[in-house]
This record gives sequence, C-alpha cells and structure tokens, in this order.
Amino acid sequence: MATASFTHRDLTAAALADVLRSAGFDVDEPRPARITPVDTFDGRLHSEGLRLLWDGNQLTLLADGSVPASIAVAAIPRFVTDLPAGPFRSRLAGIVDVRALLPLATSTTIDTTAVQRDANHKSVARVVIHELTGADRDRTSLVVEVDELSGHPKPAERARELLLGAGCLATDTDLVATVLLLAGVDPAGTRSSPTVPLDTSLPAAAGFRAVLANLRDAIEANWSGTVDDTDPEFLHDLRVAVRRTRSVLANAKEVLPADLLADFRDEFGWLGEVTGPPRDLDVYVIEWPGYVAPLPTAARQALDPVLRHLESRRSAAHRALVDALRSDRARGLLAAWDDWLDTAPRTEDSSAPLSQRPLGDVVRKRLRKAQSTLVQQGRRIDADSPAEQLHELRKDAKRLRYLLECFGGVLDPAATKEFVKRLKGLQENLGDHQDAEVHAHELRLMSHEMAGEPGRTETLLALGALSERLEQAKSDARSEFTHRFAAFDSDAAHRSFRRLLEGLGE
Amino acid sequence: MKVLATYSIKGGVGKTTSAVNLAYEAAAAGARVLVWDLDPQGAASFFLRVKPHVKGGAARIVSPKGDLDDHIRSTEFDSINVVPADFSMRNLDVRLDDIKHPVQRLAALLEPLSHRFDVAMLDCPPSISLASESVFGAADALLVPTIPTTLSSRTLEQLTGFLASWERRPLVLPYLSMVDRRKKLQRELAAWLIAEWPTLLPTAIPNASVVERMGIERSPVGAFAPDSPAARAFRQLWSDIAARLW
Repeated sequence: MATASFTHRDLTAAALADVLRSAGFDVDEPRPARITPVDTFDGRLHSEGLRLLWDGNQLTLLADGSVPASIAVAAIPRFVTDLPAGPFRSRLAGIVDVRALLPLATSTTIDTTAVQRDANHKSVARVVIHELTGADRDRTSLVVEVDELSGHPKPAERARELLLGAGCLATDTDLVATVLLLAGVDPAGTRSSPTVPLDTSLPAAAGFRAVLANLRDAIEANWSGTVDDTDPEFLHDLRVAVRRTRSVLANAKEVLPADLLADFRDEFGWLGEVTGPPRDLDVYVIEWPGYVAPLPTAARQALDPVLRHLESRRSAAHRALVDALRSDRARGLLAAWDDWLDTAPRTEDSSAPLSQRPLGDVVRKRLRKAQSTLVQQGRRIDADSPAEQLHELRKDAKRLRYLLECFGGVLDPAATKEFVKRLKGLQENLGDHQDAEVHAHELRLMSHEMAGEPGRTETLLALGALSERLEQAKSDARSEFTHRFAAFDSDAAHRSFRRLLEGLGE
Repeated sequence: MKVLATYSIKGGVGKTTSAVNLAYEAAAAGARVLVWDLDPQGAASFFLRVKPHVKGGAARIVSPKGDLDDHIRSTEFDSINVVPADFSMRNLDVRLDDIKHPVQRLAALLEPLSHRFDVAMLDCPPSISLASESVFGAADALLVPTIPTTLSSRTLEQLTGFLASWERRPLVLPYLSMVDRRKKLQRELAAWLIAEWPTLLPTAIPNASVVERMGIERSPVGAFAPDSPAARAFRQLWSDIAARLW
C-alpha cells in the first residue's frame, strides 16, 4: 500500500474533514489514537526499510510496496521470540535476531478517517487526518495521509488533488517521521562503528586519540543497556569496544605517553575480564537451541534442567558484572578516560618518540607486525598442538582485525574488505573451535555439579550425548583449521595484504 | 510465502467459506494474505466485496505476459488483498492446455509476489483437472474440507492416490467441515473419519448459520461475529495449519 503525506499550516482538521465530506467521502468522528514506533537500539528495522508500530492493541509492520501485517498484542514484546510462531515473527526474527524491541517514542493523536466507497460499499480511497500536539502543547500539527488501495489508483490521485486544491502541501515527512522528529529520536538508532575519518598525515598521537575517543563513545552508548540487561548485544558491543580499546592501547607504544598507557591498559584489562564470564554464558544460552536440536526429543527434554542451571549461572554472572560496572573503580576509569580524551592534547602527548610521526607510517608498521605474528604462530600449529595454541592464535587474529577496523579510516575500503574476508574465514574456524571447547568444558563442570543430585540419571545421560557432540564439533573445527589457515597463508592472501598497505605509502 | 489451496473434488463442502475465513484469521495472526479466487462462481470475491473481473480474463493471466500484480485488489482488511474471479476462468483448463509447462504456470505467476505476501490462499473450483494440477504444482498445502459422510473417505483416497506419484507434492491437510454435532450419524461418521485419517487436523468447522450470513454481511465471520463458535473454530483451525507450516 502506497501512502502519500500532506500537511497544512492554516486549516484545522475539522475544516479539512468538511472538504472531504463535500467531495463524497464518508467521514468518521475524530477519535484519539496512540502511535509508538518500535525498533532495536541500532535501528535494524529502519535499515531494512521496515517500520514497526504499536497502537496499544496491536503491532503493525509496514514495508514499502507491501500490505501491512498486524498482530494483536497487549504490550510490546521484549524479544521477537515472545511473539507466537508464524510469518510475522519469522519476518522480524531474521532482522532483529537477539536484540530487544524498544519503543522509540509515543505520541497521541486525534485521527479523523475519511473513506470513499464504490457501489459495493467497498473502500476505494482512504484519507486519515492526524492531529498531533507538539511538546509545547500550544501548537498542533496536521499530517494527512492518503492511502492508495490496491487496484484503485485514480481515487487516490483525486484525493491527493483535492487536498492540494485545499492548500495542503505534499511532504516527505509522514506521521511516523513526524512523531520521531518531535521526540528528537533518530530512526537510524545508535550504531557503533569502530572506524573514524582519519588522514595518513595526521600526527600519530592525534590519530590514536581520535580512535580511542570513538571507542569510548561506543562503551558509553552500550553501558546502560548492559547494566539493565536489555539484550545480549549491549554486553557484546561493550565488550568488543573494551577489547578494541585495549588493542589500540597495546599498539600505542611509543605513540602515547608510557605512564598513561600502563594505567589505562591495566584498568581496561580489568573491565575486559569482568565482562568475559557473563558474555560466555550469554553465548551459551543463545547457542543452546542449536546444540540440542539434533538430539532426540526425550534427550532434549532431559536437558531442560541443564538449561535452567545455565540460565541461573548467567543471571548470577550478570549480577556480578553489574556490581562491577556500578563500582567506584568503573566510575573512576570512565571519568579519567573522559578527562584525558576530551581535554586538548597536552604537551606531554608529544613526548613519546612516535607521537608526531605520520599516522600512516605507524599503522603500516603495526599491521605488518600483527600479520607477521599471526602467520608465524599459525605455521607452528600442527595436529599435536594443544588447544591453547589455537586459542592464542584466535587472539592474534583479533588483534589484527581490530587494527584493521579501528584504523580503517586510513585504509583503502575495497582492499580492506577483500583482506578482511580472508581473515574472517580463519577467525570463524578459530571461533567455532573455541566455543566448542569452552562449552564442552562448561558441560563437564555442570555434570560434576549435578552428579550428586537425585533423579538426574536421564539428564546426565543426555549431557553425555551433548558433550560428545561438542567434542565432535571441536574435532571437526580442528580438522578444518589446516585448510583454513592454508587459505590465509596463501600467496593470494599475502598479495591481498600487500595491496592493503599500498595506500599507506612505503 | 506459503501457498495454500482450499481444495476438494466435491462441491458444497465449504471451500470458499474456509478460504475467506482462514485468510481473515491468518491476517489477524500477522500474515499478509493474497486470496486468489480461481472459482468462476466468484463467491470469495463476493464475500470480500471485490468485483469479479480480471482484465483480459484467463487468457491474459495464462499468457507469457500474464502478471498477477496487474489484477490485485484491496479489501476492507488492509492485510488481505485479492486477485478476483473472472467468469473466463471456467476455461482455465483449455487455456493451460495451450501453453508449455501448464502445471508450473500458477506457481510461476505467484513467485514474483513471494516477498510481498506471507500467504497465498487459492480458492479452487470443485474438479480434478489440468487447472487442479497447476494448483497442486503451486501449493505448499492443500486444505481439504471434509464433510462427515462415508464418501468423504473415498474422496480423500482419490486425492492422495493421485498425488502419490508426484515428486514434489503438496501437504494434504484434511479437516472436518460443516459438522452438525446434534446429529448422531454425523458424530459417528466424524469419529470414523478421524480414526481412518490420522492426518485430519484436530479442529472441526461447525455447520452454522453465522457462516451463511457471510453472504449478507459480505465479510468473514471473524469480522462480524468474532465470538461465534464458527469464528473461534476457524481461528483454531488456522493455528493448526500454521503449526504445521511455520
């Protein structure tokens, strides 16, 4: 259904309704309505061209070129999985994933609906006049929407002409956009990108400061959502921003003052550690349905106590995290970090030997080192290497990836994309191996914890079956590693890396 | 998009009322629905207040230039659109016989709409013909309203027997329709059918005067009598179907 929007500065809703009535429209009595646009924190629905609206009774999903879909709900569901199974949920699930659905703003309007009908008393054109009251309550705005109903383009065209003739102005700002504008809400949401605009000739200290400030913004943007446990992505994004910060600080040796680096590296190290256990458990709970899906129904049911145990541990880990985030130590870290980042560069900043070197030179050097470390460490791994070596390699891969992401502002985007695709192939394999290893270990711990509990025989048997699957997954990932690393260590991959460095000069 | 077709070899079993009422319940459950009225009688179009006319008729639809998008019409329910009936659809078999790949034609017409709708509900005329085969070729599931009679079992056997040789065959979802529980014979026959056909969906649609009122209200039962037993039955039947498909 296509909708055209209009506005009028002078006419009232009642006067416009009279215009429509005179043209043969059936005009309903004005009635109060509520509109609440809903999206994820990072505007996922908006980025897909979708709008989700709640009016107090139902959720409606709108997309250009498609009819609306509506489902009755008493309240905005927190997660898509809270909706009943069916196409509405399926459409949202692929886009929203584990993110919470959040109300962006709420507005009450007075709506007047006018409909033109044919001989079968069927609607062929519909106009809705929305009266909104602004924040100051003195001004009302009118947004008039003309819905073009499928198969009836001419009545809609006549309705549009009627409104223009009455002095309405066509506008791109429809009702939803108006509501968000009045509330000061950006429908695109908050997306934390690690990449900031940079110049290769920028003094290195200034470049590093800009990158760190951007990462600080990401930490702060995700802080409240993590404390409130709104959805697992807040902790994920917070943790990634902290890890990137640590990585950039590690690469800031001789660029930023040594004492500053030492203090903040220790403190961000602590912050990274406190986010680790709850994030691991979040991932486990998220992955759980996929792990148990291949098992027989009886085994899946027998594992329900394990899932509850996992969820209980997750809750406890989150409580501990919240205590840490609310502590004086965390508040002190953020305050000191803000203070250093937001004050003008001090003369001490130029004390480090590489501080005034061109940023491009420093980034090139750091990238070469990170890539070389990754390749050399990877070549040392063989069939007998312990799992810990793959875990360390995974960290090396992340360090390289973070460098590429955080300093992407000085790199050629096409060359970066091409090389990152190759790096991702290796990282996925190392991630699969790590997840299977960690989750198998968790299962062994839970088996020991539950072994003494009465009536757990079926559960323990099912745990055994699941552990076997995870061990197999780990073994499969390990077998795949040789192939994945060979692809990363290939001539083509090395050429790709050299192309990446070309833009930084030699 | 899931393509569902209310289908039966027999007439007067509740195909059209099922198509319209299930379309309504699907929309109420959050689906975007396209009803395609393939029956030249045009009853589904009538219930939904849409003029039973397709420009160019069956010939145009079946031709290589045929595009369903040209014929889609709104209804009083924003989430339900209709491709209306046309009397020329009585010749659909003849038209399909003239083209290559007739069994794939309806599926090919529906495919471009697969991102705009979640459910296509095809209301089929009572027959077993080339047009029916084209419906089978397009459908993910056949919803088969089954009146509690001894012949109904034979009808289901004929249908499942015919589909047995198909490599990609739709799911056959029979359900009891127009059941009058006041009549002992109907109750006994319903129980017998349930025993004979374990695939029968659990919800039965009652024989109810409120369903007859659709012709006066020109609206699905769920819209004008949402708390009636018939409306509740269609709502539950939609849940049964959705559980099988999503």
